[in-house]
Amino acid sequence: MGSISLNGIKKSFGEIEVLKDINLDIKDGEFLILIGPSGCGKSTLMNLIAGLEDLTGGEIVIDGSDVSEESPKDRDIAMVFQSYALYPTMNVARNICFGLEMSKMPKEEQEVILKKVSSLLQIDHLLDRKPGQLSGGQRQRVAMGRALARSPKVFLFDEPLSNLDAKLRVEMRTEIKKLHKRIGTTIVYVTHDQIEAMTLADRIAVLKDGELQQVGTPYEIYNDPVSHFVADFMGSPGMNFIECVVKDENLIIESGGQKYEFSIPCKEAINNSKLDVVMLGIRPEMLTEIQPSIEKNTYIHKVKFDVDVLEPMGADTVAIGQWNGNEVMARLSPESGNIAGKGFDLQVDTSKAILFDPNSGLRIR
Amino acid sequence: MLNFLEKNLPKIVLAPTTIVMIVCMYGFIIWTGLLSLTKSRMMPQWDFVGLDQYARLFNNPRWDVAVDNLLIFLILFIIIALILGLLLAIFLDQKIRVEGAIRTIYLYPMAISFIVTGTAWKWILNPGLGIEKLMRDWGFVGFEFRWLVEQDMAIYTIVIAAVWQSSGFVMALFLAGLRGVDDNLTKAAKIDGASTPRLYWHIILPLMRPVFFSAIVILTHIAIKSFDLVQALTGGGPGYASDLPANFMYTYSFNRSQIGVGAASAMIMLFGVLAVLIPYLYSELREKK
Amino acid sequence: MNNYKLSNFNFGRAFIYLILLFFALIYLAPLYVMFTTSLKDIEEIRSGNLMALPLDPTLYAWKKAWSSACTGSECQGLAPYFWNSVRIVVPAVIISTVVGAFNGYALAKWKFKGSELLFGALLFGCFIPFQVILLPMAKLLGELGLANTVTGLVLVHVIYGVAFTTLFFRNYYVGIPTELVKAAKLDGASFFSIFRHIFIPLSTPIFVVTIIWQFTQIWNDFLFGVVYSGSGTQPITVALNNLVNTSVGGKEYNVDMAAAIIAAMPTLVVYVIAGKYFVKGLTAGAVKG
Repeated sequence: MGSISLNGIKKSFGEIEVLKDINLDIKDGEFLILIGPSGCGKSTLMNLIAGLEDLTGGEIVIDGSDVSEESPKDRDIAMVFQSYALYPTMNVARNICFGLEMSKMPKEEQEVILKKVSSLLQIDHLLDRKPGQLSGGQRQRVAMGRALARSPKVFLFDEPLSNLDAKLRVEMRTEIKKLHKRIGTTIVYVTHDQIEAMTLADRIAVLKDGELQQVGTPYEIYNDPVSHFVADFMGSPGMNFIECVVKDENLIIESGGQKYEFSIPCKEAINNSKLDVVMLGIRPEMLTEIQPSIEKNTYIHKVKFDVDVLEPMGADTVAIGQWNGNEVMARLSPESGNIAGKGFDLQVDTSKAILFDPNSGLRIR
Repeated sequence: MLNFLEKNLPKIVLAPTTIVMIVCMYGFIIWTGLLSLTKSRMMPQWDFVGLDQYARLFNNPRWDVAVDNLLIFLILFIIIALILGLLLAIFLDQKIRVEGAIRTIYLYPMAISFIVTGTAWKWILNPGLGIEKLMRDWGFVGFEFRWLVEQDMAIYTIVIAAVWQSSGFVMALFLAGLRGVDDNLTKAAKIDGASTPRLYWHIILPLMRPVFFSAIVILTHIAIKSFDLVQALTGGGPGYASDLPANFMYTYSFNRSQIGVGAASAMIMLFGVLAVLIPYLYSELREKK
Repeated sequence: MNNYKLSNFNFGRAFIYLILLFFALIYLAPLYVMFTTSLKDIEEIRSGNLMALPLDPTLYAWKKAWSSACTGSECQGLAPYFWNSVRIVVPAVIISTVVGAFNGYALAKWKFKGSELLFGALLFGCFIPFQVILLPMAKLLGELGLANTVTGLVLVHVIYGVAFTTLFFRNYYVGIPTELVKAAKLDGASFFSIFRHIFIPLSTPIFVVTIIWQFTQIWNDFLFGVVYSGSGTQPITVALNNLVNTSVGGKEYNVDMAAAIIAAMPTLVVYVIAGKYFVKGLTAGAVKG
């Protein structure tokens, strides 16, 4: 129904190549998130899918048909904009039904759809108001209502939550997820917020400088990134990166004034790479206070750690120190965080550690 | 076919205006330019005589007077209007209670035609019955004000009337500019101990530079086009003592059947405007980049 | 709003009010003189002075100015020429405004290759001194059989007014978020539907500003009027100038003044009622440059 194939998409504005060669297949009913830093081309890609911009190269196939030359209205796509783009002089009811009005749907049918959509989004009491009289969250819902009313094959969301305050954002995030479960239409969603990406997506597509870096499930992106860039982008606080010297398939770590040798699961990778120095990637949650119990494990290491800065976050406390001269963050319980200082006893779990080539930033396997 | 129309609708909508503009602005300018190179008199005659008409123009004493007058007018008009407009804007910016009413009064002259302005001032400056008589009736026996009919002074009456008409506009421009000054800037200056006159001189006025330039460009434009006011106030007289280039062009083209010379004078007027406009646009565009 | 005040509160502010009031009187003076003079009889004018109030106000001058004053060879007063102006202004304002609206919409929201250049070229047309197009336009009107006709004048005003109206609308529409157009395209709306359902409802302010601006410019025009009209088709500004400069039997200053006020009345009334929008129009067009 709403499957999308992006084949060899290229887009240039004059001399500037914004999208270089995008190939992506989105399954029908999938919730796909496009994420990347500012200027990576994600909004441009959205505009291309919607038909609001022309392709420089490649083709877009929706539900089996090539729509590359079609105008937006013939692609059966609806979009929710960052600024909502509600028609300011029309009331909510007309805003929602405008697309239906343009397709010359009879008034009675419009009413039916309007009722359905407005009750689904709980905005049926707002139908007579104008956008200027609504709160941010209400406008958001009306924008979604306008998109829903047209029962399109694909929904496009362009950073719809960026203009909301933090609390509202969390609420709406859950609503959007519930909505997707209910109606099951394909969603392509652009955001720069990686928490949104992790919580909402079926799959995440990471973009950088007009090129796809990696496409995968949130789990894959988080635990199995293909490059330093992807690893760094997801997770908050971000992954720790430490340059280490290799010794006999182990990594040398200097911490708290002492030297340690860490063994890690990807021994093959070290051998294959034939590098003397590699970049270790390990997430802060793998560095904690000493945990009781746990059976003896070659991947659990205990090291001394000099804490420079403590950042209490409520549920846990981030402790910042150094390994090999690189800044490193650990996640401690609030109680441990209270007493952490010089010479703190740190437990390091390297079972999920990964390696990168320090020059190219690519993953070593 | 329908798809083509839809895709190109914006261009189609703009097409008539574009064609008309090409013909009636740029095309006409070229036509007038070409005409100025011919020896046309009453009707266009396409015998090209190079820059003859320009030579005749520059040797024409009446044209000299017109150009001199324009320079005098330009300089005085712009300077006085700027100072007056700025001063009034600064005063008006001081949270005046009846600001709305006063602004309305300062600006209404712009709503009336230059012909009406000229007619009114012609009466006010009337040699026997205008200001002169008023002053005498008020006790200033022997007061004389006959500028309107004096060869050397007639042009200054034009300055007076033009300033009266346009300074309110300059005031509006400056007021808008002053209002656009960031509050935080003035607060910071006050904390730094600046007194109000210094605040204006060192901080606010320099911020008004773009407004100055806009005002100068517009006032220059008004001055160069000034035709109506002269016709109504002095008729270019006495004789042609208060002629401006615009009046010269009209007289020679339509009264004296010398359209070759008239065209040449029009081209010179155009170059004058361009001489001010192009540097201004250039500097604006450079700033934007 | 500015937070600074003059240091010496009472004296300073009194001085400011004084200056502002003084200039308000100066700006109002000509209007006062015009009114009072128009209500006096000729004897009183000769014996009295500018500032004196009419001893025995009479509407003689007004009646004469309207229906029997001589404007050259005709002595029908200003009435027929008042209606000429109306017949010129109404179509010219409507057409130039509507065309400007469509142009501004296309240029602001449907950019294409060369659209900015087109806009620049159009903008330039706002600045040229009209002297350079006077002669070729006269020829064009002659060839179209529109010389000395009201239709011809309407055409001229539309052609040269569209540059301004397009500027106003384009600048206004640029301020409307383009995402509205995107959303409407996705909703299936066409070029004209988007204009009709979304932009026009938002356009009341700019329509008002543009109409007032155009009305004022065209009603007050003299240059085009004097060049392109014939003796029966002159607009009121031309007729006024003729009236004032025709002194059959001795100058009747009261009639001149009454005539001037009649000519100025429509734009003055518009200004008093909708002056706020008029100011917006002036500064919107100018400050943007």
